[in-house]
Amino acid sequence: MTDAYLVGAGQSAYGSFPDESYRSLFATAYEHTIDSVPDGIDPDRIDEAVVGTLGVGGRQLGLAGPAVTEHVGLHGVPTTRVENACAASGYAVRQAVQAVKSGMADVVLAGGVEIMTDASGDAVRYWLGVSGETEWERLSGTTFSGVYAQMASAHMREHGTTAEQLSHVAVKNHANGAKNPKAQLGFECTLDDAMNAPTVADPLTLYHCCPTTDGAAAALVVSEDVVEEFTDDPIRIAGVGASSDRVGLFQRDTYSGVPASKRAADEAYAMADRSVDDLDFAEVHDCFAIAELMAYEDLGLCARGEAGRYIESGATRLDGAMPVNTSGGLKAKGHPIGATGAGQVVEAYKQLSGQAGDRQLDDPTVGLTHNVGGSGGAAVVHVFEREQEVDG
Amino acid sequence: MSVGVIAVGAYAPEYRIEAAEFEAAWDSFDPPGIETTAVPDADEDALTMGWEAANSALDAGDTTAESVDWLAFATTTPPSEEEDLTARLGSMLGVSTDATRRLFTGSTRAGTQALDAALTAAPECGLVVVSDCPRGEPHDAREHAAGAGAAAFLVGPDARVTLVESATHTEAYPGTRFRERGSDTLDGIDAGTYDRNAFTRPLAAAVGAVATDGLDAAAVQMPDGKQPYRAASAMGVETATVRAAETVSTLGDTGAASVPLGVATAFDNGGERVLAASWGSGAGADAMVFERDGELPVSLALGGDTSLDYAAYLRLRGEITADEPDGGGAYVSVPTWRRSLPQRHRLVAGRCPDCGTYAFPPEGACRGCDSLVAFEDVPLAGTGTVEAKTEIGSGGAPPEFERLQSESGAFGVAIVAFDTPDDETVSSPTMVVGDATVGDEVETVQRVIYTQEGVTRYGFKVATR
Repeated sequence: MTDAYLVGAGQSAYGSFPDESYRSLFATAYEHTIDSVPDGIDPDRIDEAVVGTLGVGGRQLGLAGPAVTEHVGLHGVPTTRVENACAASGYAVRQAVQAVKSGMADVVLAGGVEIMTDASGDAVRYWLGVSGETEWERLSGTTFSGVYAQMASAHMREHGTTAEQLSHVAVKNHANGAKNPKAQLGFECTLDDAMNAPTVADPLTLYHCCPTTDGAAAALVVSEDVVEEFTDDPIRIAGVGASSDRVGLFQRDTYSGVPASKRAADEAYAMADRSVDDLDFAEVHDCFAIAELMAYEDLGLCARGEAGRYIESGATRLDGAMPVNTSGGLKAKGHPIGATGAGQVVEAYKQLSGQAGDRQLDDPTVGLTHNVGGSGGAAVVHVFEREQEVDG
Repeated sequence: MSVGVIAVGAYAPEYRIEAAEFEAAWDSFDPPGIETTAVPDADEDALTMGWEAANSALDAGDTTAESVDWLAFATTTPPSEEEDLTARLGSMLGVSTDATRRLFTGSTRAGTQALDAALTAAPECGLVVVSDCPRGEPHDAREHAAGAGAAAFLVGPDARVTLVESATHTEAYPGTRFRERGSDTLDGIDAGTYDRNAFTRPLAAAVGAVATDGLDAAAVQMPDGKQPYRAASAMGVETATVRAAETVSTLGDTGAASVPLGVATAFDNGGERVLAASWGSGAGADAMVFERDGELPVSLALGGDTSLDYAAYLRLRGEITADEPDGGGAYVSVPTWRRSLPQRHRLVAGRCPDCGTYAFPPEGACRGCDSLVAFEDVPLAGTGTVEAKTEIGSGGAPPEFERLQSESGAFGVAIVAFDTPDDETVSSPTMVVGDATVGDEVETVQRVIYTQEGVTRYGFKVATR
């Protein structure tokens, strides 16, 4: 079976763009993706496209994939839309890998797009949480802030995690986001800012929650047979893992972790024949501060229950032993639902290809992306590995 | 012994507003004899209060809802002007679908009419639920007097309390208290002597037709704290006897529940011979004399003590608050909602016949063995422990709950591990009434979840035990 390689990735700026459409944002991400391929690529080489989007606000729900790929000139290219809530384009990338590994395609575009800020405040609230369990979870009065707040309450009770430790997530990710010109909230914040922000869903404050975001991101996944046409510094998609779980938090065996993340990570590590010790960085799904802490534990960056102390130690800062969310994460970079997973891959590409600017790590070779749908109903993990030359 | 009252339950909401709050806001407080009124929570209405009282009566009578073969609901404030509310009340309680149902409304005599109908029907196990929460315009004395409460009576053979005499009287007196079609608020012509006559004459005539000697208490219709005493002399009843069954000073005008609450209070105070004298505009009166021979199980929960200031009161009444905004998004259709009624109303969980694991709601593959099985229905007791909890602040709730949050502020949402008959729990997310933290023991109550497309959805929430 052929290996799959990441030869390019790009994104639009993340933010609030009332003058942009979902098509124009996707076009921007697509252009940056094409331009990012070291040795260039003719779009005619693209065999297949996979596009993640939720369709927040009720825009193009049917045929949303072709709606954007036709817009950028990929006429006739078979395009599939993936909807897996916030993990939509993480799964799009996984599907691209599957298409390449199956031998049905040599070059696949995987991306995602979402427009979230052009709807009224009321409409946005209607749409936030539509990926939660609707009949019971939502009708108990929660959107995702409430569900993750319940997870935080369980983590705090089980492990002694504190509001201050949650706030360290915001401080770190804003510090990184301030170094990312594509970030929506590219400013630093203090521990006091995060601690004393208005409560959204106790114990989560505003700074423990990611923003709503417009944005698009894409990546190019190619086969071993053709990778040398596009780059001399290939990045192998060494491991892919994915898992589903019950959509409602109350239906799961634990509230203080995301079992689907652990299963996805274990699968990805096994496929890559790597362990967490081999990672140089990770982009994790920090839709809420507690989500990042749970990811540390689910991905094995620290022991179960130790995430609060782990972030306090500084290990996950840009200058720490295991930098997490160098892009600013969902918290500061932004969270355009359908684009988020592909956007994480963009950061992995930038770090592994030495293009991460002020937030560039020192010669990383192995990185991980972790993308979660809902409160854990879907999770997908990728392990990327920079190679000096193509194996085999 | 003959058919009569087997047990009594009563409920009033937790919130109270003092007369002084109205006085501070309006420079005067017109309804006499009222110190506080009971105010329903934002997710309470006549149906949910009735459920509370009914459960108290069933508990007091050591009876289960499955035994009830005759169910009546009486209110002047039905959540829907047209719809048989006994259907949903029966579902919430778990009353047999074959039980006889009666709905009484349109008059503050509805409570005594329901009780009279039950005694006449002579059921094996009748349940009469009377619940009311009248309202008026904010400036109106009827609103300042408006209270809330519910009483419920188990009716059956071999009763300790029996009806020994009754009479009724009706004559035309339009305009004294009415609610126009489509209106939520009471109105009246406020015509002094005319109004007084409309109240006193039917009561005097009805009560005059029964023997009033030896009464321990007289539960007389209490729109305020003055009219029942004014009517006392015309009825030939001592004012002290009326006072022995009064609830208006603390609960306010409880409409159709006024006299039933008075009867419940009178028996709770040890009364042996009690008069029920209800009045309804139009105008008419019912007089019923009850006698007790032996112990009557009574369970009253009328002691709410959370005080509201006037601004909080206006929010809770929905006078100054937001409605649900327009928009799309998550949508639970009425047929979908209906399929979940056994869970919403009676907490019916499922037990896997293969591995014994519980499921709530009981659908989909078993969590324990991942098999697609036909779950065995297991109604849960409704007790449990909070496993996870959050408080949803302003802006954090789905828009479906905009009205609730606007009226009552931040609300708690928990995941509760509910007790099962076996050594395991099964979890569900649910809204919290009042405060609760992780580890607290809670039990279910029936409340309004939300209203969409004009259809109010009722279901369980939890409150600390």
